[in-house]
Amino acid sequence: MDVNEISEGIFEVRKGGKKILATKNANPGSNVYGENLLEEEGEEYRAWDARRSKLAAMVLKKMKVPIKSDSRVLYLGAASGTTVSHVSDMLPNGIVYAVEFSPRTMRELIQLCDTRSNIVPILADASRPKLYAHIVEQVDVIFQDVAQPNQAQIAAVNAEQFLKEDGHLLLSIKARSIDTVANPSKVFKEEVNKLEKDFDTQFNIIKKHDLAPFHEDHLGLVAKKKLKEN
Amino acid sequence: MKIITWYGILTIGDDGVTECEPFNKDVDELAELLLQKDVVAYFPGSGFDIRTVAIECGFVENDEEYNSLLRDVSIRAAKLQISRTNTPDMQIIQAVEALDDIDDVVNVLSERLSEWYGLHFPELGLSSESLVRFVSEFGSRNNVPAEHPMFEKATSSMGSELPSADEELIKGFASNACDLYDSRHNIEASIVRNMEKMAPNVTLITGSLIGARLISMTGGLARLSQLPSSTVQVMGANRALFKHLRGRAPSPKHGIIFNNPLVKNSPWWQRGKIARALAAKISLAARMDVYSGELHPEIKVNLEKKVNSIKAANPKPPIKQKPAGKGYKGKNKGGER
Repeated sequence: MDVNEISEGIFEVRKGGKKILATKNANPGSNVYGENLLEEEGEEYRAWDARRSKLAAMVLKKMKVPIKSDSRVLYLGAASGTTVSHVSDMLPNGIVYAVEFSPRTMRELIQLCDTRSNIVPILADASRPKLYAHIVEQVDVIFQDVAQPNQAQIAAVNAEQFLKEDGHLLLSIKARSIDTVANPSKVFKEEVNKLEKDFDTQFNIIKKHDLAPFHEDHLGLVAKKKLKEN
Repeated sequence: MKIITWYGILTIGDDGVTECEPFNKDVDELAELLLQKDVVAYFPGSGFDIRTVAIECGFVENDEEYNSLLRDVSIRAAKLQISRTNTPDMQIIQAVEALDDIDDVVNVLSERLSEWYGLHFPELGLSSESLVRFVSEFGSRNNVPAEHPMFEKATSSMGSELPSADEELIKGFASNACDLYDSRHNIEASIVRNMEKMAPNVTLITGSLIGARLISMTGGLARLSQLPSSTVQVMGANRALFKHLRGRAPSPKHGIIFNNPLVKNSPWWQRGKIARALAAKISLAARMDVYSGELHPEIKVNLEKKVNSIKAANPKPPIKQKPAGKGYKGKNKGGER
């Protein structure tokens, strides 16, 4: 078994000929959602399944994840915290703001927050950033996985309010939640177009990649804000 | 310009923050303030970094303190919010779901009992609740008393004898199912009670169980009150509705509200019209329940008037016309799942 850091805070653990994606467990001894714990050179790692996490799938698709150990991350669509827990692992000196709209899933997310020191839970609608602008600071990274028909707009309003000029937007677009019957590649094209032109805050797409076979009909995107011309 | 942050109220002048009034550094107090409603009017402009200001104005000493305090406050606030979302209609929703679960289970159990007990007493001819009650009371058919209506059948049964070990098993099985029926009755009674308290007008218009089901399907009384009544009318007829939207069928006339006697007991050509009137009144009733909470009996009177006028205007069945709808070619049974 040996360990290879492929991006800051993200590791590839080799075990018996298999490569396993993992993050360093910030809460050693316990797992969050039944994932395997891997011991190596006195460090404990948590296996990170790309089929359960869009962010992990983006990593395996060789998309560069701009999260550093001291990053400030806004996570929209935190759900019950599967991916958030790995982001939390990646931020020993940073903080992640986890926004989730459903009280039911927030119940589980809060239990995760109780065991971690760097997650700020926010029960709010991600399409209305003004409702949590008194909590969230300027962030380095926005990660968004909301599966809403207006997800491009949600990304734009949040980036306008919270994303630093040189910050990155990581976005997972689910074609099926925009149009259940249309051809996914057409939906992706339209969504990319919206991000580039439609809203006050516009984006330059740095990289995009289909997330199949980990997630069908999902597109992963990395983008930066276009600087506004004055 | 004033803005509100989680740690205090800031006054912003032309060249930055001119005044900072921090709140008390108490987690509980801060959590309550975090949930205040008027933050939207005083939100920081885009690009404004609230963390830098918190350190500059001395509310916290450094980044670590900012992080840990904000984390504690947010967790407390989120917990408060969650406990406040547990409203009475959440109880009703869970009760309705539990009712459906029990129905599923109890059907399976009573069918099994019918097969099992049928080996011993095939002439019994009871099913579901009455079967379950019978078996858990008597066990073997030899225990049926002479005055019981089943006595004659029991003494002349063609079924095999039931050994006492098996009798214990089957009796225990039946009494478990009995408990489920009891529990079902209790849940139903509690739904009736809660609906009368929480949604008196909806209950008056359509009965507590259909009302509770509508609330359960929409996810709350407030949500139900915000829906258009055309949605209320077809709620529960999802398959028929989507079939219609794909252009393969005429529109559904009623969903769950079909079970209301006004709709159910009317002849087929009046049902659509009555369902529409009923749905309209359910919407009104839900709004009364949410916003005033008082009982308005005249709404029921109005509904009855409307239903009577529908019945008077449409006494005879119309001559059936070819249904409209794009691509609709007669009845399409099966194939479309």
